Amino acid sequence: MSLLASTTTLLGKELRTEFRSRELLTTTIVFILVVLILFSFAISPTAEESREFGPGLLWLAILFAASLMLQPCFLREQNNDTLSSLRLAVSDPFAIFLAKLIANTLFLVLTEILMLPLFAAFYNIPILPQLHYLLLVLFLGSLGVSVAGTALSAISAQARMRELLLPLLLLPLLTPVLVVSATVSVSLLEREPVVQWKGIGFLAVFDLIFLTALWLFGEYLLEE
Amino acid sequence: MKNLGSVFAAYLIGWGVFFLFYVSMAKRTSDIRTELDRLKNSLSRPR
Amino acid sequence: MAKRIILGFVATLLVIAGAYAAFYIAPNERTMGVLQRIFYFHAATAWAGMDAFFICFVANLLYVWKRQPKYDWLGVTCAEVGLVCTTVVLITGPIWAKPAWGIWWTWDARLTSTFVLWLLYISYLLLRSLIEEPERRALLSALFGIFAYIDVPLVFFSIRWWRTQHPAPVVMGGPGSGLDPIMSRVFYFNVFVMHVFVLFLIVERYVLEKLRHDVDLLQREAEAQ
Repeated sequence: MSLLASTTTLLGKELRTEFRSRELLTTTIVFILVVLILFSFAISPTAEESREFGPGLLWLAILFAASLMLQPCFLREQNNDTLSSLRLAVSDPFAIFLAKLIANTLFLVLTEILMLPLFAAFYNIPILPQLHYLLLVLFLGSLGVSVAGTALSAISAQARMRELLLPLLLLPLLTPVLVVSATVSVSLLEREPVVQWKGIGFLAVFDLIFLTALWLFGEYLLEE
Repeated sequence: MKNLGSVFAAYLIGWGVFFLFYVSMAKRTSDIRTELDRLKNSLSRPR
Repeated sequence: MAKRIILGFVATLLVIAGAYAAFYIAPNERTMGVLQRIFYFHAATAWAGMDAFFICFVANLLYVWKRQPKYDWLGVTCAEVGLVCTTVVLITGPIWAKPAWGIWWTWDARLTSTFVLWLLYISYLLLRSLIEEPERRALLSALFGIFAYIDVPLVFFSIRWWRTQHPAPVVMGGPGSGLDPIMSRVFYFNVFVMHVFVLFLIVERYVLEKLRHDVDLLQREAEAQ
């Protein structure tokens, strides 16, 4: 089976598994919501501050949520030892990663889209004018989070204390995504919005670099 | 010389960290060597 | 064994010479005065630490490719030594910064990426401690090491381009910019000194790792009997 065919099949499996129970999506949405609310309690921002800090806090919440959401990614396969069957089923192990990271990206972006109206309401930030650019940044940032997160999830699944380990490995690694996504989002949501193409380009480069690294080294992550 | 204290503090603490690392390594090395000898002896004694 | 002792001896002598040069040979800097002398130590250590991390990266790649344990030993060795260097850098930096800028810390590109670097390699060592099986530990930590290392330039540039708002205080202005030839020479001498010292630490730590492996082997043999 070609890479595309394997990936599509596996992607279908990932999506079906999740949409059967939707537990990952619902818990992630609720988690981001809770984090955003807690931020408001902790900081109690003014209208101006909300506009300045809101997007950064949103991205922080996304990162925290992702580091939890990515836990089951490979743990799920461990429970029934489905990973070996997966590896036998595909000719290119990269298909497994590709399917998982596309699924993870989709879940994250879906969560973010559902969160956006609430975010706009809580922080009093109009998002409609720049929605298309905002979605672009959300997509590129979430892709970065997914690529790194899927790779690291494969690593932490094979260690002890994996629930604590994954965030510890992932969050420092994702510093560039956090910084750039937050900054670009802030300037998109300012009173006079600015589209930072350099930032968007940077996110795309980050995604590309880690995708390439995953392509080069992915099969070793899955070794028995 | 105004900030001489800071300069000394930096050199002392900095080298202190290196020194602690080296000492901890030396101790671990000597412990391991003892363990290695012990194992070698117990294995060379035919049962 | 004799070579290690000689290396240790030479390293110690060089360290003393380097400190002497930093305190007595280098002239006083115009604006910062005596405080600037911290740089000979701070910047040279940073450089040597970065080189240790680079060797770690190469060792990680070699392990994934060749699967020989010696590359794993080299990897963990350089990661630890690099981490010690980075710790020294993160301590001596603020000691310099407080009298010089009035603040202990600032989130500019160099400081932030150094801190993230420190976090990443702490995670590397933590990851290793959480995997028991030696080959799996070697492979997974090598892969994480590779991801961590390619992340570092991304961290640096992301902060440089989007977080450093004003011209940052020039951290390596004094010795590195070659303004004064004597300062420059003292600086590069200290860079050499720290590299020799770091090499000495790497050798000693590598020996320890190899001994650990030997003990492991013997223990398994002993259990088999």
